[in-house]
Amino acid sequence: MKREDFLRKPVVPMKLTPRMSVNRLIQEFSNSGCFGAGRVSSACDIFERMVRDEQCTIFLAIAGAMVPAGLRATIADLIRRKLIDVVVSTGANMVHDLVEALGGHHYKGHWSVDDFLLYKYHIFRIYDVFVPEEDFVKADKAIMDMFDEIAKENEGHNFSSCELMWEIGSRLNDPKSVLRAAYEAKVPVFLPAIRDSEFAFMYRVHSKRHPAGDFLKVDTFKGVSEIVNIAERSPRLGMVVLGGGVPRNTVQHAALMAEKGLDYAVVITMDRPETGGLSGSTLRETVSWGKVKRKADKTMVIGDALIVFPVMVAAVLERLGDKFERRGLG
Amino acid sequence: MREGVSAKFLHEWIIMGKRSEPKERFCGNCRHHNVYQYPDLILCFVRYQKHEDPVVPTLGCCEEWDFAPQECFCLKEALRKDNERKG
Repeated sequence: MKREDFLRKPVVPMKLTPRMSVNRLIQEFSNSGCFGAGRVSSACDIFERMVRDEQCTIFLAIAGAMVPAGLRATIADLIRRKLIDVVVSTGANMVHDLVEALGGHHYKGHWSVDDFLLYKYHIFRIYDVFVPEEDFVKADKAIMDMFDEIAKENEGHNFSSCELMWEIGSRLNDPKSVLRAAYEAKVPVFLPAIRDSEFAFMYRVHSKRHPAGDFLKVDTFKGVSEIVNIAERSPRLGMVVLGGGVPRNTVQHAALMAEKGLDYAVVITMDRPETGGLSGSTLRETVSWGKVKRKADKTMVIGDALIVFPVMVAAVLERLGDKFERRGLG
Repeated sequence: MREGVSAKFLHEWIIMGKRSEPKERFCGNCRHHNVYQYPDLILCFVRYQKHEDPVVPTLGCCEEWDFAPQECFCLKEALRKDNERKG
């Protein structure tokens, strides 16, 4: 490269005006093109291209307490608009979706509260979100009751996490629920680490309640073929990652096993690559595994997903307009 | 409902904080207690596993009672509410 090749795009100072829309702000971020602002504007562009690509299957990977912090209705809405084709989540996020679907709440709290006082009042803390134990326990009981019912109706069937989430979603009435929206839109919800969630801990109680063996059967490996089959059927693959962890690698590995690699990738995380953990691993590193294509349309935003993701979605919805319709996975 | 909790005891224990949690038999100081409707009702997983109604009063008790205080306010607040109700 020559010297002038490094000096082609000057930074344009951001101009902020009253009543400017979210997308207008993102365009100002793009004019800057620097630091987090530049990456957020790139993330918006990539997500828009994913959505407009009818041949692309879009995976949303969710780790971290996104649902307790208020993203459940946003995710449910994206599912209903068919802007997401597959959800891959921690079990906990779907448990918290269930908590609210059953009438429970998450409360605005504070990170500096006396945690032992919370303990005495049976209140759980997720950074600055509070959850009363009774809302959790009511969800526990609902999970166990549903397991009883599902086992009885489907004697001997081995459920994948995805099949189980649709069964649970079919039993919910809350339109803001991720699980209900996924069931209605037939969007698969994979919980690759389901055993590390309230679903699994309540499964233990449920199974002990049925010593004759007539309890629910769950096959945690079954989801591997299901998600790889989706990746194999899809001409192109895209992912949006909130956090990272097991959900991110589940999507990436499905792309690898389908012998394709991802075509689009947006990762929003606060994690660092130096520890070798997957959540902070760069998308360049992911290319070395063949999980993301070398020429993929990709960016990694270092930031709080609870800020970046809603901004990105709002900007892209604005660009798409009210009349935009996407076919979805079908 | 449990009987026999004196006003003097409640005053010393709740208001003055002089006494430790009583070893009287209450669901609210049993190992198996989980809050169902704070502080009045708890969910008992032992009863649930036995296919019995798992939602029981905090001030109730059964033969499975296993004393293991959780250092929580459930029993204290349930007793206070019950005492206030009785006047």
